[in-house]
Amino acid sequence: MTQFITAFFSGSSHGAIYALVSLGLVLVWRGAGVVNFAQMGQAMFTTYIASQMIMHKNSYWIAFVTALLAGAILGSIIDFGLMRPLSARKNSALLASESMRTTIPVIASLGVLGILKALAGIIWAGEERGFPSPVSTNGIKFGTTTLAFTAFDLFVIGIVLITLLLTTIFFTKTGMGLAMRASALNPEVTRLSGVRIKSVRTLSWAISGMASSLAGLLITPSTNLSPNTLDLLLIVGFTAAVKPTISWAISGMASSLAGLLITPSTNLSPNTLDLLLIVGFTAAVIGGLTSLVGAVVGGFAIGYVISFVNVYSSPENVFLAILIFLMLMLFLRPQGIFGAKEVRRV
Amino acid sequence: MLEIKELVTEFASVRALSGVSFTAATGKITTVIGANGAGKSTLLRTISGLERAAHGSIIWEGLDITKLSVEAIVRTGIAQVPEGHAVISQLSVAENIELGALFRKRKARADVAKSIAEVYELFPILFERKSQMAGALSGGERQMLAISRALVSRPKLLLLDEPSLGLAPLIAEQIINVINDLCRSTGLTVLLVEQNANTALSVADHGVLLALGKVVAQMPASQMIADESLRAAYLGY
Repeated sequence: MTQFITAFFSGSSHGAIYALVSLGLVLVWRGAGVVNFAQMGQAMFTTYIASQMIMHKNSYWIAFVTALLAGAILGSIIDFGLMRPLSARKNSALLASESMRTTIPVIASLGVLGILKALAGIIWAGEERGFPSPVSTNGIKFGTTTLAFTAFDLFVIGIVLITLLLTTIFFTKTGMGLAMRASALNPEVTRLSGVRIKSVRTLSWAISGMASSLAGLLITPSTNLSPNTLDLLLIVGFTAAVKPTISWAISGMASSLAGLLITPSTNLSPNTLDLLLIVGFTAAVIGGLTSLVGAVVGGFAIGYVISFVNVYSSPENVFLAILIFLMLMLFLRPQGIFGAKEVRRV
Repeated sequence: MLEIKELVTEFASVRALSGVSFTAATGKITTVIGANGAGKSTLLRTISGLERAAHGSIIWEGLDITKLSVEAIVRTGIAQVPEGHAVISQLSVAENIELGALFRKRKARADVAKSIAEVYELFPILFERKSQMAGALSGGERQMLAISRALVSRPKLLLLDEPSLGLAPLIAEQIINVINDLCRSTGLTVLLVEQNANTALSVADHGVLLALGKVVAQMPASQMIADESLRAAYLGY
């Protein structure tokens, strides 16, 4: 029973972080139509900023808020400096086809990831460092038993639930939230309604940047922080999994699986944020990719899978379990838990 | 008053509009008719800024709007209802309507509420279904919703692209009549694009006939509807 409680709470804590990553991915996908591979690079970079501030004797909370703001600014810069100019060149020969218009921004986001990692390497010498927690990371005592569940886990769940609540209120109760949903669903009608969709898209990037920064701040106290190199095999695999057809997804997963099997370093410390991105992608795909609620549910679902496999099986089986889970989802419900089936009116 | 002067719109090597000129008088219904591919929808999309004019100008109430963005054009009082019952299926009826007034909300909150109440009065079925997803509506209801979204922006010029397309004749007539009543009672200027020339000319004050991107005739609607040679040459009936 203790094992079950531990697995449940640990799954909730990690699932909450995956939900944030997934939410960030879905926001940019829905708002701008871009699968943002730079997301964890943004998280890594802003977490380094927070870490640097804490090293220079600033309070945790000032560093925390600064990192969130930096995440929003970085997201806005990516949209302003890269994605907007790219979409303005939609009539160029390179971007003439629909597939290229979809693919080029994704490749650009990979470029941003590379730049952020290189910058982090130059500024912080690529050093691996720890990141503090504002509350205890020791297991909570339950009678004479110490659970593998900490006050920090409770803090994570609390922060993420508040974030999700605020996000829900923002999207369902405010005009800007409506504008964001509308511009993602039908940009032309939204523009004809007078909504400035370029600004709305920048806001999607900014909120997504904040969500990923928050994920970075919340995951690093239990792991480490480093500007890691990217496991391209995994990323390519998950890009394919995002594609709508099963054959692509399966081939993508096969290459992911190959990548995983040849990569023995599946522990979380050196590749933390890259792996977080992959788990976030899986959560987003499971949730339905276009659904914000799905992103959150997918995040928690993945969190529980990881946690229960960790507790009842072995940490080595975690990623295999994620991929089997993803494969089952794509076979049984390819549109995800909350994704709508494409319906053509006749 | 809307003045279209020597308007040219091109798509790569194809010239969709070729020196189109006409005037739509304030408070009147001007209908643009023509066969498929005549350039009617391109004309509306160019006026609303969705397509860029290669040459010529669009003057609305003395202001040159040719190079303005779609969003800026909406703010000058022009609202377009695109072809094909353009609503956002995944949003509720109420949200679709609210979307049309979003850009006015901060400055004119009370008037926004009033304009929303007015469209519900105009189309009571939408009030009954306001919490339903727009995708669940019938074709006629979707068209009513698309028009409502445009009306809550308090437009002075309404651009309507084939409002009767795909609708049962009775529903199409009902919608055209609502537009006609609105124009007569509020002074709204309407530019109505229709393939169904008879329906459009029966409510319009002025008719503009387009063929292959060019204006081939423009005259009072009553005169155009009676001109058998024009109908036979360009409209095929």
